[in-house]
Amino acid sequence: MEATRAKPFSAGPLRYGVAVALVAVALWLSLILQIPFGNPFWFFFAIAVIVSTWFAGRGPGWLAVALSSLAVLYFFIPPYRSWNVKPQDVPFFATFVLCQVIANWLISWRRQTEDSLRRARDELEARVAERTTELKSVNEALVTQMAEQKRVEEDLQVARTELARVVRITTIGELTASIAHEVNQPLAAVVANADACVAWLSRQQPNLAEARAAADRATQGATRASEVIVRIRSLISKVTPEKSRVQMNEIIQQTAALAEGQASRNNVVLEFELLRDLPLVYADSIQLQQVILNLMMNGIEAMTGVNGRPRPLIVASQLLSAGHVQVSVQDFGIGVRPEVMSRLFEPFFTTRSKGIGMGLPISRSIIEAHGGKLWAESDGEHGTTFRFTLPVGEGSTG
Amino acid sequence: MKEKGETEPIVFVIDDDRMIREGMQSLIRSVGLRVETFASAQEFLAVKRLDVPACLVLDVRMPGLSGLDLQLKLSEANIQIPIIFITGHGDIPMSVRAMKEGAHEFLTKPVRGQDLLDSIQKAIASDRELRKDRQELNEIRARFDSLTPREKEVLELVVAGLLNKQIADRLSMSELTVKTHRAHVMEKTQAESLAHLVRMSEKLKLPRK
Repeated sequence: MEATRAKPFSAGPLRYGVAVALVAVALWLSLILQIPFGNPFWFFFAIAVIVSTWFAGRGPGWLAVALSSLAVLYFFIPPYRSWNVKPQDVPFFATFVLCQVIANWLISWRRQTEDSLRRARDELEARVAERTTELKSVNEALVTQMAEQKRVEEDLQVARTELARVVRITTIGELTASIAHEVNQPLAAVVANADACVAWLSRQQPNLAEARAAADRATQGATRASEVIVRIRSLISKVTPEKSRVQMNEIIQQTAALAEGQASRNNVVLEFELLRDLPLVYADSIQLQQVILNLMMNGIEAMTGVNGRPRPLIVASQLLSAGHVQVSVQDFGIGVRPEVMSRLFEPFFTTRSKGIGMGLPISRSIIEAHGGKLWAESDGEHGTTFRFTLPVGEGSTG
Repeated sequence: MKEKGETEPIVFVIDDDRMIREGMQSLIRSVGLRVETFASAQEFLAVKRLDVPACLVLDVRMPGLSGLDLQLKLSEANIQIPIIFITGHGDIPMSVRAMKEGAHEFLTKPVRGQDLLDSIQKAIASDRELRKDRQELNEIRARFDSLTPREKEVLELVVAGLLNKQIADRLSMSELTVKTHRAHVMEKTQAESLAHLVRMSEKLKLPRK
């Protein structure tokens, strides 16, 4: 910074020396040129003053003014080579000195302005450099941060992949437990009734009526077990959607049969408000079952914390004017807080300790793949309604 | 004498699954036992039960009040009845909890008929024993309650092993009076000997000095 402000002659004595030398040169030129031309060439003194002030500064300028005034007084104001001045030459000499003074003053003023301008510019440059350095370091930090963020995102991606894997395993685990329970129950009934049947037959006087009744119940149990297996198989076996023209009400009723056990275990009463003569929709019935089952299970779950009032889960179907079938699943649970509401459909978002947060996102993607919409409406603290729409008979071929 | 209907044991079956309920009922009836079935723990609590030897066949997992909840409720109400738990999962912590609370047996679904009947027979036998003990204790208590306050004081000192003379000193009465009280005590409690009297009073956990 100092370097940019350095002046041509920074050393004090040297600057004054320059002033003396310039005045000396001017005097010498004036005297030399006076010999051939006769007139005194004292303009050189003006140049000496200007150059001194300009390059050496105000102080040397004043010295040059003083020296040249003395030189002019001594050599060029009659009587020559004397310090005396004739009265008639006083105005002339005074004008000369005044001109010198003005020149010095003007030049030094100009010089000062220029200096302060230069200083301002230097400062500006310094500040620009400073800011540039700052910006550079900020930029570097930003680059580091971005790299960090990218790394975190990659980690997140890895975690998500891992989570998806765990979810698959957990889902399979949950499903297995659920299948085990659903199948075990009717099997227990089969065993109890078959044992009873044998017991009635083994008595000294076999009771055929009781034995038959027990055998009938054993058969019913076995049928129930096989129905459970068929339902579960149809739920999980298919991967690619197989669309056909389906009656939504039938799908709702089939799904309700699957949710009934869970509902009664939680003291939830399933209620249906199904529109008769609902037009057919073109859809994959298994996927629709998945969606409805998911919504119903959520609704039942939402009401487990409710005590002291009835716990109905209302499943309704309607026909909208725009040629859409609408299905709604309304619970009277504890409701959904607004901040949760906006995140309901985010993958991996869940409010339940055992939830995996994939039910609603998957449901929504299924409905959207069918050209419909799935959304939630909050009824405040009195529950939540999930609705989805599907276009009537789209792509139908009969 | 009580009628047969009032002493004949009874089996209570509580299961939310109708088909299982009916199967068990049929199975238990086939060996000549009385059965009453309930679809929930609440239903069971609501009815008035006969005072006869009994046992409870209880599904652990039920809507509403679970099997374990019912067990807790019964023990809180000081209702003693042997419980045979049935579970579909054979879940170990649950069995441990039930056993700690005094479950009689823990069977996993599907239960073999013979296993269930065996457990029921054992449970009823154990309930019969318990009831006999309880009844005996009640009778002893009734006899001891019939003692006068003075006789009770004498009883306490007698079972503590004091001689008649010592008791007379302690209670500031004549030795003859002590003897009279003592004879009344032996008579009223139907004690055959001093040792018998001591055993009975221990059963009642009488405070002794």
